[in-house]
Amino acid sequence: IKMAALTRLSQALLRSPLTQSRRQLSAAAAGHGEQAARTWKILTFVVALPGVAVCMLNMYLKEQSHTHEQPEFVPYTHLRIRSKRFPWGDGTKTLFHNPHVNALPDGFEGHNE
Amino acid sequence: MAHQAHAYHMVDPSPWPLTGAVAALLMTSGLAIWFHFHSTTLMTLGLALLLLTMYQWWRDIVREGTFQGHHTPPVQKGLRYGMILFITSEVFFFLGFFWAFYHSSLAPTPELGGCWPPTGIVTLDPFEVPLLNTAVLLASGVTVTWAHHSIMEGERKQAIHSLTLTILLGFYFTLLQAMEYYEAPFTIADGVYGSTFFVATGFHGLHVIIGSTFLAVCLLRQVKYHFTSDHHFGFEAAAWYWHFVDVVWLFLYVSIYWWGS
Repeated sequence: IKMAALTRLSQALLRSPLTQSRRQLSAAAAGHGEQAARTWKILTFVVALPGVAVCMLNMYLKEQSHTHEQPEFVPYTHLRIRSKRFPWGDGTKTLFHNPHVNALPDGFEGHNE
Repeated sequence: MAHQAHAYHMVDPSPWPLTGAVAALLMTSGLAIWFHFHSTTLMTLGLALLLLTMYQWWRDIVREGTFQGHHTPPVQKGLRYGMILFITSEVFFFLGFFWAFYHSSLAPTPELGGCWPPTGIVTLDPFEVPLLNTAVLLASGVTVTWAHHSIMEGERKQAIHSLTLTILLGFYFTLLQAMEYYEAPFTIADGVYGSTFFVATGFHGLHVIIGSTFLAVCLLRQVKYHFTSDHHFGFEAAAWYWHFVDVVWLFLYVSIYWWGS
């Protein structure tokens, strides 16, 4: 019975709040100890992913106020360089050619008189 | 049975360095053939050989390290040095393109209109997709750190979730950039603005794809129990590479997208 009482006493002592907070603090101080994964998980769902969501919302709102008109064509000589044909297609269009916003050296396609 | 009296790894003879060199030769000469004679055969052959070389060489390294125990602490240290040196060389690679950008943009020539951006160039709004891309890559840096700690703490499921999230963010970045490339009102052929923009961001995009692939391989290995809480250098190398890709983007964003607009 003495042993049981002794065990119960030591357990009660260990459960004291001072010891517990000391344990938590030392775990945090260890940094790369048992708490770090949890910290980064929290950062992921509270900061990182909401940050992405906010930027996505910003995009959606800005997209609505865009006019999708074709920019005016000015035949500048320092743009739309074609020193050598591209090795694909008819050689006049860049790899990510977008007929709506990318003019060819003579102008936009389908708009030539 | 013979034993070595040292902790280092004397690698067995391997054909992959030779096949890799041949692949490099075929791809470069193949590129020239494509440009001048419109045939893609040589280049495609080189590309196929490159992919086979990468797959088999790295498979062999995984076998040597994970299954045969050759990656002792000194060997791992060497691998760490190797990865650090490689990433350093890549930093210098990008430094060149940033040099080109600043050379052209700090003193714009009369042909461009004496201004930057050049006359006639409609730049992308840095606070639209480019900002979203920045948030995506920064978020992926957080998730990859979560993954690392999960691996170190033996949290298998969390490691798999966080690594998957990281890869998905990488894919999202690539998707957004591809859309941006299509929607951009300027092209690579639009003088020095187009050249510097697409070459710098293009190589960066390629590195994002490489980094995402590296992380995907780590995910596969994590699922197959290759990593332990103390020994997971393949993952660390992938995470370092990923952080490097993120940092390059931040420089691109500030220099080309923001200052250069």
